[in-house]
Amino acid sequence: MKHDPYSLTELIRNDDFIAWVRKPDEKNEIRWRQFLQNNPRKKETVESARRYIIFMGEDTGKSQPTSEQSEKMWKAVERHLRGEEEVKDEEIVEEETEPEPGRVISGWRWARIAASTALIAGMTSFSYWYYVNQAAREHGKDFQIAGVSRDLIERSNNTDKPMLVLLPDGSSVVLEPESSLRYEKSMNAQTRETVLKGKAFFEIVKDAKRPFLVYSYGLATKVLGTSFSVDAPENGKEIKVEVTTGKVSVFSVDELTGTDNKVNSGELKGFILNPTEKVAFSREAGTFTRSVEKVTIAEGERDISKQAFVFDETPVSEVFETLEKAYNIQIMYNESLMGDCPLNATLIGQPIHEKLSVICNALDAQFEIQNNQVKITGLGCK
Amino acid sequence: MTTSETFILELTDQQLWTGIRNGDEQAYTLIFERYHRTLYNYGSKLSGNSAIVEDAVQEVFIDVWRLRSTLTENVTSVKFYLYRALRRRIHVASDKFPITEELTMLPDWEMPYTYANSETLLIQHESNSMISRRIQEVLSQLPERQIEVITLRYFDDFSVEEIAGIMGINEKSVRNLIYKAITSFRQTPQHFLVSVLILCLLVIF
Repeated sequence: MKHDPYSLTELIRNDDFIAWVRKPDEKNEIRWRQFLQNNPRKKETVESARRYIIFMGEDTGKSQPTSEQSEKMWKAVERHLRGEEEVKDEEIVEEETEPEPGRVISGWRWARIAASTALIAGMTSFSYWYYVNQAAREHGKDFQIAGVSRDLIERSNNTDKPMLVLLPDGSSVVLEPESSLRYEKSMNAQTRETVLKGKAFFEIVKDAKRPFLVYSYGLATKVLGTSFSVDAPENGKEIKVEVTTGKVSVFSVDELTGTDNKVNSGELKGFILNPTEKVAFSREAGTFTRSVEKVTIAEGERDISKQAFVFDETPVSEVFETLEKAYNIQIMYNESLMGDCPLNATLIGQPIHEKLSVICNALDAQFEIQNNQVKITGLGCK
Repeated sequence: MTTSETFILELTDQQLWTGIRNGDEQAYTLIFERYHRTLYNYGSKLSGNSAIVEDAVQEVFIDVWRLRSTLTENVTSVKFYLYRALRRRIHVASDKFPITEELTMLPDWEMPYTYANSETLLIQHESNSMISRRIQEVLSQLPERQIEVITLRYFDDFSVEEIAGIMGINEKSVRNLIYKAITSFRQTPQHFLVSVLILCLLVIF
């Protein structure tokens, strides 16, 4: 019997054929397309062989660890990484329960914490950290070599109420319960980067030169200055981004795995979201589902992302009450002096800092903000 | 068979490897993140005991860090290095815990004399779900070493040469194991025929 080198069995174990199925490139693509053109009878055999190869790969790759197992293995490995810092490492994993000034974490730990986050998410792509940090390295900021640490702050909300987080660039974030946010202490790099686990509402100070990025599992949200919310539950399948004002672009982190950092260059294709639009990102499939459903902005709404902050001859006491509820903050002021002053303003999309500036400007007052406490001093409008 | 794509990936692994040698914990974290899942997947083909597999994966990575200053500068493939180390680990661990399935060294399969009928017996006009189900069924019954080879070849994308290196056998043996596994797929239709026949008999009587 004549031996057919292109029988089904032979194709399935042909190295070049396997390479074409598993990792197609220009060369093998041309070769096998050519083969099919010259041997049209073989089309079905080729198709079957392809499927056998793909399914064998799928089936033998099914025994991967669960995210709990991954976490467990990483913890064991991490303990050996720096035996002497074992105790401190445990502390970082522990969450903060009160809104105290954020915990400072040095650069190398940051990467490891980020890795743990990725492990929890069960993400397959993690390369973006490498490339993002690669960019910093090129600028001589490498913590390993230069000995300068990129200090990072982590804030977690373990209370049952929203928590206000003030970022160093003046932006404000309302962190929902059971959520955490990490950011750079100085935030003076070319990009303002944050990592979110859970849900938060962002009001970002405009800075066209320094994009603001929120990483949440497989998704990155990039903005220049606007307000939006990101909902990335730890165990959820979907990540939701809702835009309140301005424009936001979202993209899968996979797009960041190129050979250079495309975030600043504007090359990143991104998915542009307009005000009041939302998008859901499926973590498993890595795909976006754009929702045409408009986000409604209503008066008297409790959820901060849906509030319009429109004040028309509104007594300041009422304005402050609205802000107190929206940001879960305490505003201390002399009510008898200022409480009745009327205010006209539309404060949607501005960070708390800017909102207070606008109000105090109108009142000819000064304010001080620390954590969740705001102190306003002024003589009132009378 | 080095495509431009694998070349880029190799470079990156290589960069990370250099980073690890210089004590860069970030590079180490990334290598862990990149490979611990597929390593675990491979390990679970070698031992049915998930605790042993978890321990072995951990130990492979702990060793990399512990021995970082003595690691070879130009490791051909980081992935290959990790897999080979894991296989050794699991074999050592399995000796320690004899509860697990015995890892007998089967004699390498001889290449069958004839290729006769292999084409006709593997049914081609099948739906995806049929192929997928058949593969699942056949793979679940294959001897351990055949499963191992299939995993390394079709899931982990190692070359025959690399698989030989990982398993410590020659390339011909690797090819034979692959061939043996593939030809198992043609057994199932016969089982199917037998069951159809039995069913027919049942209906007749």
